[in-house]
Amino acid sequence: MDRVTWRTRVLLNHLNQLSSSSNPLSPNPCLGFSPPELSEPFEFDTKEMRKLLDAHNLEDRDWLFGLMKQSKLFNPREAGGRVFIAPDYNQSMEQQRQMTMKRIAYLLDRGVFKGWLTDRGVDAELRKFAFFEVIGIFDHSLAVKLGVHFFLWGGAIQFFGTKRHHDKWLSDTENYAIKGCFAMSELGHGSNVRGIETVTTYDSSTEEFVINTPCESAQKYWIGGAANHATHTIVFSQLSISGNNQGVHALIAQIRDENGNVCPGVRIADCGHKIGLNGVDNGRIWFDNIRIPRENLLNSVADVSPDGKYLSAIKDPDQRFAAFMAPLTSGRVTIAVSSIYSSQVSLAIAIRYSLTRRAFSVTPNGPEVLLLDYPSHQQRLLPLLAKTYAMSFASNYLKMIYVKRTPESSKTIHVVSSAFKAIHTWHNMRTLQECREACGGQGIKTENRVGHFKGEFDVQSTFEGDNNVLMQQVSKALLAEYIAAQKRGKPFKALGLEHMNKPCPVIPSQLTSSTLQCSQFQMDAFCLRERDLLNRFAMEVSQRQKQGESKEYSIILSYQLAGDLGRAFADRAILQTFIDAEAALPAGSLKNVLALLRSMYALICLEEDAAFLRYGYLSTDNVAAVRKEVSRLCAELRPHALALVSSFGIPDACLSPIAFNWIDSNSWSSVERH
Amino acid sequence: MASSTSTPREEDSVLVQKNLFVRTLTLNRPRQLNALNFDMISRLLELFLAYEDDANVKLVIVKGKGRAFCAGGDVAAVVRQINEGNWRLAAHFFQKEFTLNYLLATYSKPQVSILDGIVMGGGAGASIHGIFRVATENSVFAMPETALGLFPDVGATYYLSRLPGFFGEYVGLTGTRLDGAEMLACGLATHFVPSTRLSLLEEALNKVDSSDFANIQAIIDKYSQSPALKKKSAYFRMDVIDKCFSRRTVEEILSALEDEEANNRADDWLTSTVQALKKASPMSLKISLRSIREGRLQGVGQCLVCEYRMVSHVVKGEVSKDFREGCRALLLDKDKNPKWEPSKLELVTDHMVERYFSKLDDEGWEDLKLPARSNLPVTAIAKL
Repeated sequence: MDRVTWRTRVLLNHLNQLSSSSNPLSPNPCLGFSPPELSEPFEFDTKEMRKLLDAHNLEDRDWLFGLMKQSKLFNPREAGGRVFIAPDYNQSMEQQRQMTMKRIAYLLDRGVFKGWLTDRGVDAELRKFAFFEVIGIFDHSLAVKLGVHFFLWGGAIQFFGTKRHHDKWLSDTENYAIKGCFAMSELGHGSNVRGIETVTTYDSSTEEFVINTPCESAQKYWIGGAANHATHTIVFSQLSISGNNQGVHALIAQIRDENGNVCPGVRIADCGHKIGLNGVDNGRIWFDNIRIPRENLLNSVADVSPDGKYLSAIKDPDQRFAAFMAPLTSGRVTIAVSSIYSSQVSLAIAIRYSLTRRAFSVTPNGPEVLLLDYPSHQQRLLPLLAKTYAMSFASNYLKMIYVKRTPESSKTIHVVSSAFKAIHTWHNMRTLQECREACGGQGIKTENRVGHFKGEFDVQSTFEGDNNVLMQQVSKALLAEYIAAQKRGKPFKALGLEHMNKPCPVIPSQLTSSTLQCSQFQMDAFCLRERDLLNRFAMEVSQRQKQGESKEYSIILSYQLAGDLGRAFADRAILQTFIDAEAALPAGSLKNVLALLRSMYALICLEEDAAFLRYGYLSTDNVAAVRKEVSRLCAELRPHALALVSSFGIPDACLSPIAFNWIDSNSWSSVERH
Repeated sequence: MASSTSTPREEDSVLVQKNLFVRTLTLNRPRQLNALNFDMISRLLELFLAYEDDANVKLVIVKGKGRAFCAGGDVAAVVRQINEGNWRLAAHFFQKEFTLNYLLATYSKPQVSILDGIVMGGGAGASIHGIFRVATENSVFAMPETALGLFPDVGATYYLSRLPGFFGEYVGLTGTRLDGAEMLACGLATHFVPSTRLSLLEEALNKVDSSDFANIQAIIDKYSQSPALKKKSAYFRMDVIDKCFSRRTVEEILSALEDEEANNRADDWLTSTVQALKKASPMSLKISLRSIREGRLQGVGQCLVCEYRMVSHVVKGEVSKDFREGCRALLLDKDKNPKWEPSKLELVTDHMVERYFSKLDDEGWEDLKLPARSNLPVTAIAKL
């Protein structure tokens, strides 16, 4: 529908209401709730759109949603004639932790985790991701608790272990015969894993390793599962063989017996109440020279012979360390993906509310206006919606390169997962805050999810790699690519930097609406920014080096350019996934609405990142044209808002009362019923 | 006081009794257990549409003549059309029937269905979507489609998926029979009134002069009882049903049931449940499970659109001809020995199942177009 007819209809609706309520004798009617579906027709097939967004295992996802909705364990609550499922966050921390374990037991019994560690192949891996995403929509604690057990503990055994570990542990892990955790971070060292202080030595007389926490800053910290439930852990420590430190290695240690008692030589304390994720029992661990069998060293990268010789196929300690970081990639992939599902839930709630809630009249005694009919409200929510779409496609791309990984693609996966994890989680936090405010006071209520999510998802910005550190690593990797290309005098052929081989794109001085909506222009602007920032970054670092600074310190000093560059890389990579998703579609309503969203995504990035003005990629006139176009796109997207959030396929039960009949769910009769 | 103003003709397949503010529609093909044929569906559609606009109609009562409320759609006629090579006519039948189901599910005035006898398939579609469903000790409810090579349609993917736990999957896949007490317990019925009190209930309902739901509810409440569930009721097996029918695939459901059976020898209920699944069309079981699962997340309109796609594939018979075969074995030849094709669950591929959920690639075929409904009442959106 074009904009004019749309506006006409909106106005007509307002006028109709006016005439019906103009009888001075009729009492001022109480506000009524009208489901947004009645007044907001869908102009594309939302099921087809969901297929693009969820991309795989839709039926499996819906099965799992149903499984949760049908069980009392998932705390179904009735409001306004509907059932909603969400954990009872009013329970104590200990109760929430218990509920997490009960939910896991239920899902385990229904076969949800079947094959999570023992099945191989792309299909099995994608199904696992799909289930994990659905679980995260219900409760972040439940997802994190599972993530630690399967992806970190299980992943470490898969990736660092060899056959003897796989045979011994994987199936028991999948069945929860044992409960695993992952002891990497310490009080004194988080993102800087290479600096951890836990020490392991080898005693060849008993063929045992001895793990020790030498000082308070070496206590393991934030270890999910450690405080209450875990029976085993992966311990990361410095491996000292005959007085030589061989760097960080991973070993398996038992920390509790079958009855849940802490093993001798292990001390465990609770990390305490947190701003979110209270269903996860994060703990601290101290090791007092505990002894573990030699076979418990995860030896895919390096081994110690019975007589105490250090053996490794990888001689370079840097490469050895990199090999150890592999399981963290899967963590970053799942975080990048799950943060976008959180954004989807919060936008679905806030936009549904904005289509049913009115505030203020524009004319004296006129009807009040729907929140989303205010251009300002559109500008608050619709660009975030467009970004969420863009990042959904980016998530799918990331998942696909991850499940189809090869040794050659590991660098790309590392860089892309770092960049997307940082950008997606930052985007999610921002979206949650905006949605919370857009729901007004209702956004504060825990039952309405959006406000509560802020506490639940905040941790994503720092766990599995602090976002700022990750972005630095992205810039460093780009710089390395740049230097390598220059040295060899060869074209760029990785990380999507191929555009650097082409002539520098030129931005027209006059930007018309049709230019602004053209994907070629949008990509040109993004590439221009990335290429120039990379050139500047390389130049600045090399100048500092010429002045005598070390390379590392030069990069640290050039943090401003590094930050801008990291974002430029991520934004460009995300836009590319959007353009690719769009290109795969036949002409039609779906493609048209995606083009609008893609333009909104690109233009809001141009508007928001000061780098475009700072470095002169866009003129002030250009930026004014962009701003105007964003506002125009808001109006164009407005009629599709409901269909766009419906396409997320989030079951109603996982949204919240304000997303539906919030008058009924707040009525006195509902008070009396409960 | 309301009084009868017209004499229904005996040969009418839908008898209409008019009172001042109440209309009573009686399904009148007792020899065919009131199975809905095309004419009856058209007539019901016409009547319900007219009543919605008629300010003098405040309540619609639907009941059946004889020992059935309604045993289903007139499948025999549909299969005849298919066998004559006219699958489009067959699809048209379902199009009409699903439109009626949608109208009832979104009806703005109260409908009371008196389910004093058999309620199966299409009969459930003509009653369960309404706001009040009165069961009696004579009620027998079932969605037996999987044994016929069909799947629970008429909006069943909406209402079965909203039964407690995984009871809907159980009822939909096995085609098991429920009595009045069980219908009430699981929410398929809203009331249970002993058949001896039905005439009093109808008399009281005939005095209604407004569509006030609470008032009508209060009237039916007055005649209602809380029946005890029979000792062997499946409702007492809810834990096993939840445990087994929550599995991801039909194969896993069956093997979970067989595991239970191995641990509990001589459990008649388990044996008959496993038997029912083994007798049903494998294709039907798989598409039924998927559609009930999808139904859980969809509105009634979306459910019917999806069911129409599925039923169009069923009658066109490109992926499987099980519907024809089921009707042959159970309704025409009555040898009760259908030869399903594919013959086993593991031969039904995901791709085959997927096809039932896609649009038909056939010129002139269109998705089910639901009539526009103004201002859906809350009660029309979710009942169970």
